[in-house]
Amino acid sequence: MDSLPASSASASAGLTPWGTRSGPVAGWAAPALAVAVGYYLAARVGFAFTLQPYPISTLWPPNALLLAALLLAPTRAWWWVLAAALPAHLLVELQSGVPVAMVLGWYATNCSEALLGAGLVRAFVAWPLRLDSLRSAGIFLFSGAFVAPIVSSFLDAALVSLVGWGERGYWDLVGTRIFSNTLAALTVAPLILTWAAIDVSRLRAARLVRYAEAAALFMGLLATCMLVFDLPQLDTHTAPALFYAPLPFLVWAALRFGPAGTTSAIAVMVVATIFGTVNGLGPFAGSTPQETALEMQLFLSAVAVPMLLLAVVLDERARVELDAREQRLQLTHLSRVAMLGELSGGIAHELNQPLTAILSNAQAAQHLVGNKSADPEILVEILRDIIAADQRAGEVIRRLRTLFKRGETQFQPLDANELVHEVLSIVHGDLVTRSVEVVPELAAALPKVQGDRVELEQVMLNLVMNACDAMAGLPPEQRRIRVRTRAVDVEGGAVQVSFGDCGPGFTPEQYAKLFEPFYTTKPRGLGLGLSISRAIIRAHHGRLWGSSTPGAGAAFHFVLPALRAKRG
Amino acid sequence: MGSARACVSIIDDDALVLRSLDRLLQARGFEVHTYSSPQAFLEQRDADTPGCIVMDLSMPGLSGLELQQALARAADRRPVVFISGRSSIEATVRAMKAGAVDFLTKPFDEADLVAAVRAALDKDRASREGLAELASINLRLATLTPREREVLSRVVAGKLNKQIAAELGTAEKTVKVHRARMMRKMQFDSLAELVRAWTVSQPLPPAPPQA
Repeated sequence: MDSLPASSASASAGLTPWGTRSGPVAGWAAPALAVAVGYYLAARVGFAFTLQPYPISTLWPPNALLLAALLLAPTRAWWWVLAAALPAHLLVELQSGVPVAMVLGWYATNCSEALLGAGLVRAFVAWPLRLDSLRSAGIFLFSGAFVAPIVSSFLDAALVSLVGWGERGYWDLVGTRIFSNTLAALTVAPLILTWAAIDVSRLRAARLVRYAEAAALFMGLLATCMLVFDLPQLDTHTAPALFYAPLPFLVWAALRFGPAGTTSAIAVMVVATIFGTVNGLGPFAGSTPQETALEMQLFLSAVAVPMLLLAVVLDERARVELDAREQRLQLTHLSRVAMLGELSGGIAHELNQPLTAILSNAQAAQHLVGNKSADPEILVEILRDIIAADQRAGEVIRRLRTLFKRGETQFQPLDANELVHEVLSIVHGDLVTRSVEVVPELAAALPKVQGDRVELEQVMLNLVMNACDAMAGLPPEQRRIRVRTRAVDVEGGAVQVSFGDCGPGFTPEQYAKLFEPFYTTKPRGLGLGLSISRAIIRAHHGRLWGSSTPGAGAAFHFVLPALRAKRG
Repeated sequence: MGSARACVSIIDDDALVLRSLDRLLQARGFEVHTYSSPQAFLEQRDADTPGCIVMDLSMPGLSGLELQQALARAADRRPVVFISGRSSIEATVRAMKAGAVDFLTKPFDEADLVAAVRAALDKDRASREGLAELASINLRLATLTPREREVLSRVVAGKLNKQIAAELGTAEKTVKVHRARMMRKMQFDSLAELVRAWTVSQPLPPAPPQA
């Protein structure tokens, strides 16, 4: 049970620092102290939320806190957690004049609830539990907030009856315990669990706007909750719709602030509601205090469960999307690197040219300097050429570095012609060694397009290299690529870029497979180029397609929506 | 013949490389002509000028190997030194088989380039001198009468005057006269010189088939 999957090791950065197996006791002392202090405070809160004059607690958070602590701790540390809670329990309960037997009994039932919930959860979900999927949230709700409170409430009530403390009936006790424990497990435990899972560094990196939004959300929620639940009820009739007033804020939290934001929002609402009810304010007013408490508990539970699940589902979906995006980025980068590998010979040529020029110029200068009769003008020219050659080599390296880099997609206004030039200079060496001639037909005054420079260059590189490969079987003088850019008048303006070769072309049957991943006609190809190119162009809201006259060459085209020129 | 100075023709489509090689070889005392494309070279070349060709292997339009073949077809025998930024074994083998003097990979050291150019120029000079000698022998051969030719072919075959006279059905004395006149026309003093010139002027026997 303690075995911790490798993937969650890094993910547990935000968890309480439970020490390693061999770690010093000091590593466990801080969490244990936190449990003790937390338990004490939670019990004080539980007492504060008691409906007077009857000792009916509407929310009993210590058990939920223990549950959360157990879930966050590795199983081997559970003894520490439970032991740490004992002094706090004694300290807080003995103040209230409860018999010692009762106090110890409650400690046992509190621990049993937490242990039962945590044990059930751990049977299904490996440590550490994170409320990041519908499955783990479902298991948590069922075990921690349903089974454990119910079972332990029976024990608890039985114990109370056994000791003979208080004058309430057994079933009456069971009922109040179940709902106050359940509400606490539903609200307090997820609050602790989700906050423990927060990556503090990301919280720090968040922009000020996010903090402002969070502040607006919580102020709005608090104000609404106070209006609905904390005002004296002047007439006995309350519009049921009022109960739903805080819901938009909870949905807002679920949509924008994830599970931690949602549990916090629920906590605000729970505190505001209980505060009102305990002080005789707000809409919950049953004929008996028990009824009042029950109404309120049912209402809060009914809101908390779906909101928590909504937040978890949204979070899970966002993460899946992020993973897919990350995978796409990775695959795009990998295929780009593979393509650059194929180009490496041509790139070496591109670097060797300036290197040769630099070396020969420098050696010529050596002789000229030795020869006093030499014209100093020539030395100036030589230096100028050396600088030019060096800059050219630097440019080759710069282009390569950009393409090798694995970065986030960055959209910016781009000139398609400039991209074509850049790509043609990258493949220049390769084109020359493969005796491929490029005929550019670039439209003047092309509107700009919005896109990621590296990804669009990758698409163009891919299309140029495909065209070269398609013509490998032709006599050198026939190897020709036509590169065309033009503005087209579709959907409010677009830019079309085409790469046409003189190769054998493709049949409609072949075309149907061309864009499938891993379909390739090349001996060393991965078969990813076209499918990735198409995905890139789609992500740019464009379209990529091919056309061919079999025997007379193939052409691949893509269109990208034009950026509207700003009108002054 | 031999009055024109040997000239190194450099062909490279890369202007920076072309200029740098031009300067380097000029600084080393060579006469240099530069061409920015194979086409420009084909248009302006003068096969009679002694010299050699230094060219890039991969150039747009016409590759170095294709240019080498075109020159061979045009009987331009100037030796070729290839320079390349990207040398495949296949291209190197093809270039050397087609008679290239050397194959340098960019970036190369000055010493290697100069050595290759010297070797190419020596080869060119040798082949031009050989050609010139052959032309002069052929010129002299043409001045012989049919009877003097008959005598010559028998002399170089190692026959005695007496045997030649018998074969030609004349007097030995007459053969002696023809022989002396032939030797004077061919401008040779010894039999050895005559035999060597004769061997040079004869077309080579076809090469034996390779195993």
